[in-house]
Amino acid sequence: MRRTFGTWMWLLAAPLGLFLLAFLAYPIAYAIKLALTDPLTQAFPSVSNVRLIVHDSLFWQALWGNIILPIASVALELAAGLGLAVVMAARFPGRRLLRLVVIVPFALPEIVFLAIMRSVFAPRGYANAALAAAGAPPVEWLLPGRALTFLTVVVVDAWHVTPVVFLMVLAALAALPNEIDEAAQLDGAGMLARFFCITLPLLRPALFAAVLLRGLDAMRMFATPLVLAGVEGAPVLSTYAYHQWSDYGNDGAAAAAASGLALLCTLVTLLLLRRRVLT
Amino acid sequence: MSRRRTTLVLLALGVATLDLLPLALILKQAFTPERESFAWPPTWWPHEFTLDNFRTLGTTIELERGFWLSLGVAGLTVTSALILTLPAAWLAARRPRADRPLDAAMIVARLFPTIALAVPLAALFVSVGLYNHPAGLGLWLAHTLLAIPVAFLVLRTGFRDVPAELEDAARLDGASACGAFLWVTLPLVRPSLAAAGILVFLVSWDEFAYALLLQVTNRSLPPLLYYLSAFGYPGLASAVAAIMLVPALAIIFVLEPALRSGTLSGSGR
Repeated sequence: MRRTFGTWMWLLAAPLGLFLLAFLAYPIAYAIKLALTDPLTQAFPSVSNVRLIVHDSLFWQALWGNIILPIASVALELAAGLGLAVVMAARFPGRRLLRLVVIVPFALPEIVFLAIMRSVFAPRGYANAALAAAGAPPVEWLLPGRALTFLTVVVVDAWHVTPVVFLMVLAALAALPNEIDEAAQLDGAGMLARFFCITLPLLRPALFAAVLLRGLDAMRMFATPLVLAGVEGAPVLSTYAYHQWSDYGNDGAAAAAASGLALLCTLVTLLLLRRRVLT
Repeated sequence: MSRRRTTLVLLALGVATLDLLPLALILKQAFTPERESFAWPPTWWPHEFTLDNFRTLGTTIELERGFWLSLGVAGLTVTSALILTLPAAWLAARRPRADRPLDAAMIVARLFPTIALAVPLAALFVSVGLYNHPAGLGLWLAHTLLAIPVAFLVLRTGFRDVPAELEDAARLDGASACGAFLWVTLPLVRPSLAAAGILVFLVSWDEFAYALLLQVTNRSLPPLLYYLSAFGYPGLASAVAAIMLVPALAIIFVLEPALRSGTLSGSGR
C-alpha cells in the first residue's frame, strides 16, 4: 500500500502548530519588543532598557554567575554521575535496589528538594549539626555574595540532578562492547589504564551529550539560586530578570535580561545541533 | 577481591544515605511538631509524632485552595497536551517529511529559557485577564507549552513502535484512515499514552517558575511551599512537600523502566 503525503495531513499538526505560534513564537517576539521599548516614552526601538541593565552592577554579577554556576555544576554532576555509573556497573549485593535509590533525589519535585535544602544549610541546620557532631565549627553556607554560597548552590544542584547524568552514562556503558575491555585485560592493562584509555574515550559521545543537555538546563537555573540564596545571594540572569519584573515592575528591563539569556542559550543550542547530539 | 567488595558496599551505603536523606528529613519534619524542626541540635530521628502540620494545612484556606488549583491545572494540562500532540506525534512517526519541522519546533520549545517566556506571557496575560486567574487558566496555558515536548516525544516513540503495516491491513479490510487509527493504532499505544499523561501531570504539578510569575494571590502549591519555607515554617512546609511528593514518587516507577528501554533518551526534563 502506498503511503502518500497529502496536503490535508498538515491539518493533523495544525492545532499544535497554532498553539506554538500563539504561546511560543508570539511571546518571544513580544519579549524582544518589550526589551526594545522605552518604559517612559513607549518609543520603539530604544536601547534605554539595555542601557539600564548594563549600568546595574547586579546584572554583571548575574551574567558571571550564569557562566560560573553552570560550568561548576555540570563538572560536578559529570564527575559524580560517571563515578556512580562505573561503580554501579560492578556486581555487588543490593545493586538493583541501589539503582532505584539513586534516582530518588531527581524524583522529588525541585521545589520540595530545595525547601528541605534550606533546612539542611540553614545556620542551625542539619549540615552544621553534622559538623558540630564531628567537632568542627559551624559554617555560614548561604551568606549573600560569597564564594561558598555559589558552591552550596552548585552542590545542591548536583545533588538533585546527578541521577540524570548517571542514567545517561549507565545506558551508554551498557551499550559498550565487552570484547575491547577483555582484550585489553588479556594484554595486561590494569583497571585504571582500561578506564582512562578504553572506557572513557568510548563514552565520549554520551558524555558530550550529557554535558550539553545538562549545561543548557543549568544555564536556565532559576529556582535553586532563588530559593537557597535569594536574588542577591547568588545572582543569575533568570533570577535577575525575575527581580526586575517583580521587585521593580520593570517589564522592559526584565525582558531585556531574559532575552539576553535566551540569546546565550540559543548560541549553545546551535553549537549542540551542529554536533548532531540531539538526532 | 573481598576488600574491594567491602569498599563497594560501604560506598553504596554512603550513596544511598545521601540520596535518601532529603526524603527522610521531609517526612521527619512533616510528622513532628514545628518546635522539633527548630531544635538545636536538630534531631535526626523523630522524637514526637504528630499530625498537627497536616491539620493546620487542612484548615488554612490558602493552602487548601492551592492544592485544588495545582490539581486542576495539572489535570487540564494533561488533557490539552495530549489532545494537541496526539495527531501531530502520529504524523511525525509516519511521515518523515512532517517529522523534521515538528522535531525542530519541539527542540525550541524544550530548550528556550522559562524566564524568557514567563516575562512576556505575564505581560500579555495581564492585558487579557489571564494573569493571576482564579482557576489558573493562564498557568494552564504556560504548563501546556512546557508539557508539549514531553508528550510529543513519548507519543512519537509509541507510534513508531506500532508497525504502519497494521494500519495498512485495516485499510485494506475496508476501514477508513480515521477508523484504522482509532481501532487499531490507538489501543496499541495506550501504554505510551498513560506514560505521557503521568509525565505531563508531574511537569505541571512540580513546576515552579511559571507558577511564581503568573499567579500572585491565587497561588498553586509550589510557590506556597517556597513562601512557607522562606518565612520559617519548616514543619508546615514539609507537610506541603509530603503532599506534593505523593504523585511525584510515581515517577520512579514510570521513569525508571522508561529510561531503561530508552523511551525517553534525550527528552530530559
